[in-house]
Amino acid sequence: MNDQYSSHIYRKFNENLEGLRTSVMEMGGLVEMQVSQAIEAIVSGDSELGLKVAQDDYRVNALEVQIDEECNRVLATMAPAAADLRLLITVIKTITDLERIGDEAERIGRLASHLATHERPAGSYRELRSLGEHVMEMLHDSLDAFSRLDPVDAVAVVEEDKLVDEEYDRITRECVSYMMEDSRNIRRFMDVSWVARSLERIGDHATNIAEYVIYMVEGKDIRHTHPDDLRAQVIGDKE
Amino acid sequence: MPTTWSVTISRIVIALVAGAFVGWLYDSVAVGMLVAALGLLVWHLYHLFRLDRWLRTNDLDDFPTGLGIWPDTFARVSYHRGRARRRGKRLRALLKEFRLSASAFPDAGLILNADNELIYFNKAARDLLGLKKKADRGQRVENLIRVPQFLDYLRQDDYPEPVEFSLPVSDLWVSCRIVPYGPEQRLVVLQDVTRSKRLENMRRDFLANASHELRTPLTVITGYLDTLSEDDGLEDYMKAPLKEMNVQASRMRTLLEDLLRLSELESSELSPTDEQVSVPALLSAAKQSAKALPHCPENIEINIESDKAVLGVHSELQSVVSNLVINAVNHTSPEGTVKMTWKADDQGGCLIVHDSGIGISEDDLPRITERFYRVDAGRSRDKGGTGLGLAIVKHALIRHEAELEIDSELGEGSTFTCVFPASRLA
Repeated sequence: MNDQYSSHIYRKFNENLEGLRTSVMEMGGLVEMQVSQAIEAIVSGDSELGLKVAQDDYRVNALEVQIDEECNRVLATMAPAAADLRLLITVIKTITDLERIGDEAERIGRLASHLATHERPAGSYRELRSLGEHVMEMLHDSLDAFSRLDPVDAVAVVEEDKLVDEEYDRITRECVSYMMEDSRNIRRFMDVSWVARSLERIGDHATNIAEYVIYMVEGKDIRHTHPDDLRAQVIGDKE
Repeated sequence: MPTTWSVTISRIVIALVAGAFVGWLYDSVAVGMLVAALGLLVWHLYHLFRLDRWLRTNDLDDFPTGLGIWPDTFARVSYHRGRARRRGKRLRALLKEFRLSASAFPDAGLILNADNELIYFNKAARDLLGLKKKADRGQRVENLIRVPQFLDYLRQDDYPEPVEFSLPVSDLWVSCRIVPYGPEQRLVVLQDVTRSKRLENMRRDFLANASHELRTPLTVITGYLDTLSEDDGLEDYMKAPLKEMNVQASRMRTLLEDLLRLSELESSELSPTDEQVSVPALLSAAKQSAKALPHCPENIEINIESDKAVLGVHSELQSVVSNLVINAVNHTSPEGTVKMTWKADDQGGCLIVHDSGIGISEDDLPRITERFYRVDAGRSRDKGGTGLGLAIVKHALIRHEAELEIDSELGEGSTFTCVFPASRLA
């Protein structure tokens, strides 16, 4: 099974499945842009941009429906098996996670337009920017791993999630201390912690996508494997 | 060639004759000739064996010499092998040169085939886009560069203009151009324009901020000037200077407003399409304001040939119409004509402002939409012009995906045409 996908040479699926993969990547690209703009809206206090992101979410949803229909069609007409079937299952799962990421981006966009009305704090939401960049990298890497069918890169993404969770915890603790300091801050920092929560969720969805990639390539379901064992299981096999 | 074969044939004949002779000595010519023939066969087979063995080696020079068909054949094969080897060497050197220069090339370059698969990409592409040297060859480029603007651009039928977009994660801005070549290949070139984009943003912000900052003190000044000039207890000798100060302050304010407007328009984004703007309404409003100007021509006509509206921003289109009409009026004598036309069909729409005024010379024509460019500085400044009118028109039209065409004859008049695409009409 493993030699069907080599991480050194790129192998092609048949036309239909290739088309599906490209459609998923297109949806991924749109979602990446949404997340990127949502973070930009928060950090620069651009309320217009935030609303634009929120409004554009319909495009993400439309793509999910379109790809889902295509998957059903392929499933019915091709009745794929083995590797092809795993690819199809992975596509269906991935677009669901991508659509949820789109929803989180929409949420962040709306919060951006709220936050823009408040006074900007001294740090200019630096921590949010840092968490946002971290999460964007995870998303980008998981999509790259999908397109390259590279389980090693996917494992790296899964391992990143722990760091993202830690960063999120730090931010929420800071928010709480700001809120305790001055009750007038509560409104604003509640919103900040919602943004951080959405970002952390995006990180989780990116991790899911990475796990699907590993499943697709290795034929192994590693979703509930302990992170410490993960690398050994996936990479160990390759040697 | 005759020599080689004649040598070979004569050797064969001699061998057979000798065999026949020896056979004749022993009373069996046939056997003698047979032995000779067998000998010849063995000799040729041996040479064939040597040829075969020699072909397996890489040695070019170790072969038998002399006359005859075999040495000749060896020599010929050796020559061709040598040539092939030298050609191979030249090709490898050429390829290496090309690879080195492609690596040194500062912009990212990708080559795609008809299926959008990556055939080749240089080092700059790897660095800019995070591509992997071996693993990504043969991949569809849309799987790795997923930015929506790039995907839209890629799917176009042709690529007249480059497209700009920012890369995720690195946040760098790139300008991308696709050039088809050969039967089905396409070259994609990406240039890092982050720095120039930042400069552009800085310039625009500076312009907007400066205008804004200057407006505030100016408002105070004009406020006081207004109050003072209305003061009845004013001495006579103060009246004229105050009036002049008012005029000049007013000019400054118009200038600042135009600058501010221009900096807003210069953002390269397209204007939204949710509002429908009625062109006839704009034209009649412009005619009214024109009539209020001094030295306005007697003849101002409006010609409406279509009821289609333009999708865009009302205030921007109003700037376009008012600037064009005011220009026309200011450059035409009172006996002249100004004619405004609006026509549209399924292919697009044309807003035409024609005047029978002094016209524009060929030298000035290409520069006329530049900021602050004036044909006759003294005259138009007196009339209160800022030199920014046509620049504003140009940028407002760009934001509406329209083009400005200018036709003019010195002494005869000018025609300014705004061409809107069908996608901007309703």
